[in-house]
Amino acid sequence: MKCKKLEKLMMRSFDGRLTTKEKDVLESHLKSCSLCQSKKEDYKKILDFLKEQDFPKPKPYFWERLKSRLHGQYPYEPIVLWKQWTIKAIPVSFLIAVLIAVTTIFLLPSREVELSQSEELFFRDLSPIQETITALEGEEIENKNMMLIFASIEEQNGIRRYLP
Amino acid sequence: MEEEELIRLSKEGNEEAFGTIVNKYKTKVFNMAFSLTYNREVADDLSQEIFIKAYFALPKFNFKSAFGTWLYKISSNHIKDYLRKESRIKKISLREATITPQIMKDEIEKKQREQLEKQKNVLVHQAIQKLPAKYQIILSLRDIQGLSYWEIAKILKLSPGTVDSRLYRARRMLRNKLMPFLKQKGGGQ
Repeated sequence: MKCKKLEKLMMRSFDGRLTTKEKDVLESHLKSCSLCQSKKEDYKKILDFLKEQDFPKPKPYFWERLKSRLHGQYPYEPIVLWKQWTIKAIPVSFLIAVLIAVTTIFLLPSREVELSQSEELFFRDLSPIQETITALEGEEIENKNMMLIFASIEEQNGIRRYLP
Repeated sequence: MEEEELIRLSKEGNEEAFGTIVNKYKTKVFNMAFSLTYNREVADDLSQEIFIKAYFALPKFNFKSAFGTWLYKISSNHIKDYLRKESRIKKISLREATITPQIMKDEIEKKQREQLEKQKNVLVHQAIQKLPAKYQIILSLRDIQGLSYWEIAKILKLSPGTVDSRLYRARRMLRNKLMPFLKQKGGGQ
């Protein structure tokens, strides 16, 4: 446990971040602990190697190459933005269309449809001929004849007769 | 010309001013990229991409931090992204690479002293590359680039305490990976 704690101090000592007291603690421990001594040597080897590494130089004409790349770059790409916009616009417009359809179906007041006389009879499941027969049956024979005469005249004129 | 003036001119689109900044910082950015990739081609390409990013991000730079710190921040983020992508691609080949140290070990024993340096480079590089990206970055910034704790904390947006503990873990992990070679006769000499 003590070695692990002192390993942290050891690391800080490489960065020159130890107080005088911490330095003394570390040094006295290193004198008595061969394991930590060897650890310190290992770390020193690694850190020295990392610091002394030779780096190659960047490839020649760095700025010239960069300049030509800069000219080919645009901070904002309108095509990409447009694509992004359309990607979002497709589901949004679909949602709007669905909302409009639902509103139209459920919220708008329904219009009363005016039916023609024959349509009305059809929906009421009545036969227009049957009605005429019933009307005629209740009348006397003279009236029946007169009604038929008037009906034929009306039919010739193209005027439809309305039932009371 | 003062750096601040060069930055101001670059913000206005003056390429010559930006060129001066690039020439001043290109080696630092390149070294950082190289220390994490160990490939000159890749490091050069990454450095160019970093400067392109920086050029287009210049309008956002508000002189709150030093330009170098800001540029390092862009560099570390860009390289971190690259390393993450690379590690995803190389996951399979890394398993194969576990046998490499032994091969390297045998080679070191056989080859001449001048070749030993090259091998050491490869070994250390391989060991660093096996660390998670965040540890690679902190090792590069502190132990290779020699930046201060304060600068690292600013670049990585960490507290100095976190920098301390992360650096401790990174060095420890690196030592563990290099242990077999450190124990060899003259391993680190």
